[in-house]
Amino acid sequence: MVSKLLLRKLHQNTSSLRRLSTATAAAALPTYGSGEEISMKGVKISGRPLYLDMQATCPVDPRVLDAMLPYYLSRFGNPHSRTHLYGWESDLAVEKAREQVASLINASPKEIIFTSGATESNNISIKGLMHFYRDKKKHVITTQTEHKCVLDSSRHLQQEAFDVTYLPVESDGLVNLDKLRDAIRADTGLVSVMAVNNEIGVVQPVEEIGRICKEKGVFFHTDAAQALGKVPIDVEKMNISLMSLSGHKVYGPKGVGALYMRRRPRVRVEPQMNGGGQERGIRSGTVPTPLVVGFGAACELAAKEMEYDEKRIKGLQERLLNGIRAKLDGVVVNGSVEKRYPGNLNLSFAYVEGESLLMGLKEVAVSSGSACTSASLEPSYVLRALGVEEDMAHTSIRFGIGRFTTEEEIDRAVELTVHQVEKLREMSPLYEMVKEGIDLKSIQWAQH
Amino acid sequence: MAAGVAGGPTKAEVLSLFRSLLRTSRGFADYNIREYAKRRTKDGFRHNKNLSDTSSISSAFSDAKSQLEIAKRQVVVYSLYAPKVKSVMEIKQS
Repeated sequence: MVSKLLLRKLHQNTSSLRRLSTATAAAALPTYGSGEEISMKGVKISGRPLYLDMQATCPVDPRVLDAMLPYYLSRFGNPHSRTHLYGWESDLAVEKAREQVASLINASPKEIIFTSGATESNNISIKGLMHFYRDKKKHVITTQTEHKCVLDSSRHLQQEAFDVTYLPVESDGLVNLDKLRDAIRADTGLVSVMAVNNEIGVVQPVEEIGRICKEKGVFFHTDAAQALGKVPIDVEKMNISLMSLSGHKVYGPKGVGALYMRRRPRVRVEPQMNGGGQERGIRSGTVPTPLVVGFGAACELAAKEMEYDEKRIKGLQERLLNGIRAKLDGVVVNGSVEKRYPGNLNLSFAYVEGESLLMGLKEVAVSSGSACTSASLEPSYVLRALGVEEDMAHTSIRFGIGRFTTEEEIDRAVELTVHQVEKLREMSPLYEMVKEGIDLKSIQWAQH
Repeated sequence: MAAGVAGGPTKAEVLSLFRSLLRTSRGFADYNIREYAKRRTKDGFRHNKNLSDTSSISSAFSDAKSQLEIAKRQVVVYSLYAPKVKSVMEIKQS
């Protein structure tokens, strides 16, 4: 066991090295005080914020890190090297990881292609599949609440003279199955509906959609990045043809994902990455062994821990929602309350401005909307598709609960949120008018 | 709890493993991982408390033993890279 003295010495050396390193954009970097506080973007906080943004990314589970480290240290071989031990042991590890990923979704390991993430898998599924079948199939169906990469790939296809139907969703975020059935045409090549939405957490009826696609003979792609390891997925039962998986949403490393491609009946795609023909020619490029091993370990863990985590996260979600609702009114849950993954809670607070709420919640790491869209100021397109009014869409906050979240963190988050919302509402003249009983929609604002 | 007749662990061994896991878990520098490790150990042992046949007890025991090895290694790794500023949850509120 490494002694405390050695650890302290190592710590001192690394921290002095950090001070010596030249940082170019010094103004933007956070300054860490002498173990007391962090100052960043003009805000001072006393410690690292508590993390409630599990949909953006999850911390790597220590058991996953333990599985990955040997492949960064001594077993660093390229899995495609056929002539020596380094290649063989690396290849063995990749194949084991493939097995682990496949067993989580009830697929065969031959149907798993490792990619750099769910975004790349989505690109291959949508553009790759439609390009392959472009002679006979010209139509794609997707929803308005899909992830940006799916929507952007579809837009790219539109520019190539494909037809794309963006199905609207109901006000609870779920797809209307009759509208889907009616939208399928003779030349429809692909239906793409995500399993669990990353912004609002609703779980789509994947099994029913799979059944509709099977009877109509259309390929069914689902983006299961948020669903993997959290809700049970069975590609046979749900009749899925293509599925995108992401590593860093299941407590694995960032930079790895997978694509499930059905073999019976065979699904074929045009590769988006050309090269040495790795991964059955679908995705050329050296397979990153440590990342893939981490992904496999994370999937195996997820299979073991799914029940335990789900029960716990459901309890924490109820604690969070009840805690906030007990002290505040005007709290709206965005998306269906029943058909939702418990770890994702998207709330809108009436009469409060979103940016100022987030600024005041600096000790809690949450996000409004999704990580992809929080940089822009426009309200989330997902909430707009739900029919949420613009002022409520602006004040939405997404709480992400995960395996490592504690009850104390939930209680602190409730306390901080309630405090901040009350503070902002007290300052708000609109809220004063509402308390006096004036209906805000009936006000005729004078023009200046 | 079955006594170790044909190769199964004794009650004392199980308890000793439980205490070792808890003691090791307390060493994690990261607040969330530390709390998770403690909680998961307690819940894991509680869940398996009523196992009766030797083979499942043995496999649960060896599983926990390998988890202990993993935990010991990772406590070291996490402490090597522990951030100087702790989580907000660990700072006493004035």
